[in-house]
Amino acid sequence: MRITCPFCGERELGEFTYLGDAKPVRPAADAGEDVVYDYVYLRDNIAGVMSENWYHGGGCRAWLKVTRNTLTHEISAVEAAAGAGARQASK
Amino acid sequence: MAEFSWDIRSPLDRALVAGPYGARGDAGVALTEIRNFDLVQVMARRGKAAELAKAAKDRFSVAAPEMPKAVGTADATLIWSGPDQFFVLSKGGKHSIGALAPPFAGSASLSDQSHARVLISVSGAKARAMLAKLSSIDLHADAFAIGAAAATSMDHTSVTLWRGNDRDGLAVFNVLVFATFAESLWHTMLDSAAEYGVAINHSEELA
Repeated sequence: MRITCPFCGERELGEFTYLGDAKPVRPAADAGEDVVYDYVYLRDNIAGVMSENWYHGGGCRAWLKVTRNTLTHEISAVEAAAGAGARQASK
Repeated sequence: MAEFSWDIRSPLDRALVAGPYGARGDAGVALTEIRNFDLVQVMARRGKAAELAKAAKDRFSVAAPEMPKAVGTADATLIWSGPDQFFVLSKGGKHSIGALAPPFAGSASLSDQSHARVLISVSGAKARAMLAKLSSIDLHADAFAIGAAAATSMDHTSVTLWRGNDRDGLAVFNVLVFATFAESLWHTMLDSAAEYGVAINHSEELA
């Protein structure tokens, strides 16, 4: 599998580390216990297109948001995660 | 009381033995450690990337690289090292961290890497063949021209790689590696190059 880093270009999988599902969003401080439990512990086991966080630690050390099909490994989109040089990636 | 020596020495001081190595005959690869340089990492502060770009242009009279490139100035090389950050490689103290602090105050965070990285120059007719064993980057001249750079890994070790100006019509590749990983990578490079014959040396001249 290869991932096309928006900063570095196409690189082999070995340069990247998988973090996991990019969908969960940290709940507000006053959110209920069930919502926090869901955020911390519960994950969807998606068979299909999934939005994931990857870290390009063997390259530019940027965090990336990768849209990947977990059945085929087909990658349809890669973008910089929020705050990770998004200005440069959008060029 | 124990006595300490604070002499500054290269991390390759013991590993690097100048001379020929590997296959006999004309050396296909030249491995040269470049010593005694100033290296400063310049990283934009949050939201200050545009200010940093302007400060760099004012300081160096050329634009700092915003993509994986190495840009030469009159007396320094600016090497892309990631989004909104680059290295300043130079000699003689003119672009030391002390000299760069005022122009980049406010726009960037500086980090002196002069003794934290080892700079290895790889050249010779078989340089690309040797590096192909260690790197997943396409180093063919069409894909990796003079001035091309990459933040990548060799042998699971993070490196900054860029192609300098040709010497004797042959490509010259520069590798910056963390000091503590330098000896390991050096041995790996030596082993990879042995079949081509290697000329080992160190120099104070930036390629």
